[in-house]
Amino acid sequence: MFLLSICQWLDSTRLNAAMRTSNWFFPAFDTIHTLGIVLVAGTIMLVDLRLLGLALRSEPVAALVKRIVPWTLSGFALMFVTGALLFSSEAVKLYHSPAFRIKLVLLALAGLNALIFHLTIYRDASNWDPAAAAPLRARLAGLLSLAFWIGIITAGRAIAYGSGYDLG
Amino acid sequence: MTVLAIFEWMQSTPVAQTIRHSAKLIALLESIHLIGFTLLLGTILMVDLSLLGLGIGRSPASRIARELKGWTAAGLVIMLLSGPVLLSSEAIRCYRTPAFWIKMALLAIAIIFHFTIHKKLVSQEPPAQRQRVRWIACLSLALWTSVALAGKGIAIFQPPEQPITQSPAQLRRPP
Repeated sequence: MFLLSICQWLDSTRLNAAMRTSNWFFPAFDTIHTLGIVLVAGTIMLVDLRLLGLALRSEPVAALVKRIVPWTLSGFALMFVTGALLFSSEAVKLYHSPAFRIKLVLLALAGLNALIFHLTIYRDASNWDPAAAAPLRARLAGLLSLAFWIGIITAGRAIAYGSGYDLG
Repeated sequence: MTVLAIFEWMQSTPVAQTIRHSAKLIALLESIHLIGFTLLLGTILMVDLSLLGLGIGRSPASRIARELKGWTAAGLVIMLLSGPVLLSSEAIRCYRTPAFWIKMALLAIAIIFHFTIHKKLVSQEPPAQRQRVRWIACLSLALWTSVALAGKGIAIFQPPEQPITQSPAQLRRPP
């Protein structure tokens, strides 16, 4: 299969061999990867809680999003770069890991949810009444986002322990 | 009763033994622990950014802190509930791992700092001297990040008494 052959090629590269023989590569990048996710999920969950009316109710949604998005994006950059390196260090194993596949699907869904939110209902956010609840579709987007990110974190932990990932 | 005896007892409990032998339970508990930390760090980040003048609009840090207080506490409670359960599943190894004790020390400092100096600063009206505010905000972020780093260290570093025969990548697997 096409994706599998890419993973096999990644496993055969010199970069991969260097990463695998280093005792420090994996723990160091795994740690940065986790901090990146904490930054992304932590900032996104705050926006989600705000949309749901469960936190920061006195702050307008648009002002919160504007301030928090740079932090989400820097976390995402950390998470993406370290994630790609971690992946390429054991591509074939991850190809066979169900938890990894679930994590990627959830990431795509979280991204799609955020994209749809920003392109549609959020465009009008500066006109929302800060005192009233956010529109139903915005609350729904917040709820979905919370669920996706909890799922991404859980699937990420499951990769290290799940089947199809036997390092023995 | 020595500390080691308490740790040995923790690990001998049926709950600890069940978790110890279930990769799924360990992964689940670690996820809950991590989600708690995410909540904690996300909310503290917002407050500290406000203190640094990078907050939401013109809202004072005191208001942000007041509104997020409950969620910070929720994150902390999730961590403090899932942490000891995770610890019990490998209490003896943790006892012999310096990273664990470093994390406990940093956590104690971070909690005390958060509920004394940090809390006093954010509730202060009018705000304290600018220089002081900056130091405390940066210290707060550094402390909580170092708690997370030490936590990762528990999984990475083996107790020094044992010769390291596994690569760190393998250490991520449950015993």
